Amino acid sequence: MSLARSSLALNNVRTSAVRSLATSAARRQAVAQERQPIQKEFKIYRWNPDEPAKKPTLQSYTVDLNACGPMVLDALIKIKNEVDPTLTFRRSCREGICGSCAMNIDGQNTLACLCRIDRNAGKDTKIYPLPHMYIVKDLVPDLTLFYKQYKSIEPFLKNHKLPEKGEYLQSPEDRRKLDGMYECILCACCSTSCPSYWWNQDEYLGPATLMQAYRWMADSRDTYGRERKEKLQNDLSLYRCHTIFNCARTCPKGLNPAAAIAKIKLELASE
Amino acid sequence: MSSSFLFRSAVLRRPLVGSFRATVQARQATSSSYPYIPGGPILKGTVNEPTTFPPPSKTHGSHHWAFERLLSATLVPLTAAAFVTTGSQYPVFDGILGVSLIVHSHIGFDNILIDYIHPRKFSVLGPTLKWGLRALTAGALVGVYQFNTNDVGLTELISGVWHA
Amino acid sequence: MLSIRAAGPGLAPAFRRTAFIQPILRNPAALRLALSKRSIQIQSLPPSASQEISDSQRIKRPSSPHFTIYQPQLTWLGSIANRVTGSALSVLLYGFAISYLTLPVIGIPFTSADIVHLAASLPDYATYTLKALLAAPFAFHSLNGLRHLGWDAGKFLTLKGAYRSGYVVLGATAASTIALVLM
Repeated sequence: MSLARSSLALNNVRTSAVRSLATSAARRQAVAQERQPIQKEFKIYRWNPDEPAKKPTLQSYTVDLNACGPMVLDALIKIKNEVDPTLTFRRSCREGICGSCAMNIDGQNTLACLCRIDRNAGKDTKIYPLPHMYIVKDLVPDLTLFYKQYKSIEPFLKNHKLPEKGEYLQSPEDRRKLDGMYECILCACCSTSCPSYWWNQDEYLGPATLMQAYRWMADSRDTYGRERKEKLQNDLSLYRCHTIFNCARTCPKGLNPAAAIAKIKLELASE
Repeated sequence: MSSSFLFRSAVLRRPLVGSFRATVQARQATSSSYPYIPGGPILKGTVNEPTTFPPPSKTHGSHHWAFERLLSATLVPLTAAAFVTTGSQYPVFDGILGVSLIVHSHIGFDNILIDYIHPRKFSVLGPTLKWGLRALTAGALVGVYQFNTNDVGLTELISGVWHA
Repeated sequence: MLSIRAAGPGLAPAFRRTAFIQPILRNPAALRLALSKRSIQIQSLPPSASQEISDSQRIKRPSSPHFTIYQPQLTWLGSIANRVTGSALSVLLYGFAISYLTLPVIGIPFTSADIVHLAASLPDYATYTLKALLAAPFAFHSLNGLRHLGWDAGKFLTLKGAYRSGYVVLGATAASTIALVLM
């Protein structure tokens, strides 16, 4: 038994040694012989602020998927590195935690780093910036209003009293009420998928901001719930939500802003 | 008493004038030569200022919402009842159904106007349509009342047309 | 000297280059020449000018496309269908009620008997088509309205719940439309 295991281990060592001996160039050649290139067309929204009179256009790029990473962000970076350095987009963490690379890919808002490339080479992939936003350049939308709205709901703990000692305490049950809300990375995918936000974003707060508003209403350590709710008592800030559910459908983190907004409405009505 | 008050106000005036000047300067700093248009690319205030809320009003907020749901919910048994009864048997029932349907419709139309043609964006068309809708709703209410009192009533009309 | 030695031979070329630049830095005329060649212009602005600059950029920005490029999904198509069907039925109701008030005034008879008579005079295919055109929006708006009331009461507020109830409403709409037309 132990002999068999050791021989297996030896075998592993040998193959890995052989692998490490082979040069990377030879390996790449071997791959190229094995796989046919998959030429995939990407059509990407372009607009250059230096030529503002020119209308936004879709520019076509072709990428060999066998020489590219699996995600849409990999393709974008490959295009920027190897084809067109003027292509502009936001990206940072490449693992779905920063929310920078939010964009509309094949008609859905998502994070480019979490979105697999559709390997069907017969169909092109269309990439637009987040819908109904003012565009700074190419795939970069102006999120200033989105952040100003987030600021307006005072996204921080507010309590009338100082904690008796140490910090504000919370039971595990109360803490669990924040699950599904605190994970939001504010990528703006949900808000910019919401038709109500498209038409009235100057007054309607949108799903992302409203879910964060509820995140602080639902926090047992926060005592400003009444004031937080009172702010939403008008026809535009909250009640432009018609429970369309585009927000929950598109959230790349799998959160559910529609449910949080429905709970705000119920709490406001039962006050 | 009054002299001390005067003295205090004189002492206070200086910092007050100073702070007033500061706010005026701040306001001038935030207002650029590009006017704010609701929904346009120019924003109210600087990038570091939060957006503001309209004055709170439960009439436009939770009460409106709750009334809307209550009305929709009452339409469920009213509609179900309309299938099994006729207007001439229960004229009050028929009247309530007609009025409820029109108020429900009015709220629906009003929501459409708020969503797509809000007065803050359409300064002429918005208010015109808002008041036009109110006039039409009033007309429809009178029409349904007249029809239910002088004619056969809504449910009987629909069943009559359906089985014609 | 000690620090240079500590930096090691890798930095030696860099030090040599700075030694070469030294004479230019010491000579003001040469410095001015070198700077003018780079043609850098500095414009002094107060902090308050930032708003004007960013607004001058903002005003040119295009708005990105929205419903024309968004994937058709049960969520928002169901929602807009709810609005369209509701509006169609309401326009019909308003039209009927206001016609009942106004048409007799201008001499056109408009009573329930007239409408029933008109409906009876239609050929069969027109009757069925019109019935379907009335029954389908009524069924969809009523059933989807129930779905909305469920959401507002806090029921099936998950994505799965939204989709499942959406398909149930579509199926029930088809069934009740057929039932209503045959009624």
